[in-house]
Amino acid sequence: MTREVFIAHVEHEQEALRSFLLALCCGNKSNADDLAQDALVKAYLSSAGYQDKGRFRSWLFKIAYNTFLNHKASSRTMETLDDARTLVSTTAADDSFEHQDLYLALRTLPPKERSSITLYYLSGYNIKEISAITETSEDAVKKQLSRGRDKLKEILKL
Amino acid sequence: MTKDKALEELFLAKKPHFDDHDAFMTNLTKRLDAVEYIRQHQEATIRRYKMAMIAAFVVGIISGAVTMAFILSTPADVPLFEFQVQTGFLLWLAEYSRPIAATALALVMTLGMMSIINNVQDIVRMRRKNAFIPKFSL
Repeated sequence: MTREVFIAHVEHEQEALRSFLLALCCGNKSNADDLAQDALVKAYLSSAGYQDKGRFRSWLFKIAYNTFLNHKASSRTMETLDDARTLVSTTAADDSFEHQDLYLALRTLPPKERSSITLYYLSGYNIKEISAITETSEDAVKKQLSRGRDKLKEILKL
Repeated sequence: MTKDKALEELFLAKKPHFDDHDAFMTNLTKRLDAVEYIRQHQEATIRRYKMAMIAAFVVGIISGAVTMAFILSTPADVPLFEFQVQTGFLLWLAEYSRPIAATALALVMTLGMMSIINNVQDIVRMRRKNAFIPKFSL
């Protein structure tokens, strides 16, 4: 895949990718955009091995998901500080304020449940596709979705 | 598994919209330029290193073969080297100087070849490591 073709694909998919990562980062836009940029650079570096089967978005989401998990694992010590930041941001009237309740609810989920829920409800993937993106079994995805849905409904009082 | 309607509608209603599309793409292009520059520099370094390894390999083989031919072509009854001091061990060394020199040379050549092959394998591994290719199948 040439650089021009890659950029053309990214132009088309960047909003979906950023939405996915924004949900995984629970509304932290700068973090989500940094991860999106990292994921896209990784995708570009491996684009020579990508075989176009019309699944560019899924391929990109898989890289983004792994980038998110790696970032999560490496920044575990900063979690407490992040929690404090989130509490402050609930009072700030920023652009994403209207989404804060959903993001705060998503924050209570473990990263894998959060990813499955986001891929299912926000990105519209089915269980088989989520299983391929997250490299887990379909049963595990079903369990994550079921647990995540119950927790979200309880927190959001739906 | 069926979708929960309330959750689906909530996610749909709260789908974020981005108005900094151009800034994001400009930033990405800058990063790709930087990555491209580093990659080209790295590839050039690897290529140079590989060429140096191949040259060392060829020069080593040729000079080793020439030296080996020289050792084997010298008269068998004339020792390759002699010592001023005449002791039992040094006399034995001088007597068997040709096979000893040939064996030492063969040993050096073998170690050198092994080292070069190891280095070339490291280069190949470095290239593979640089390529991050996730497998994907549905």
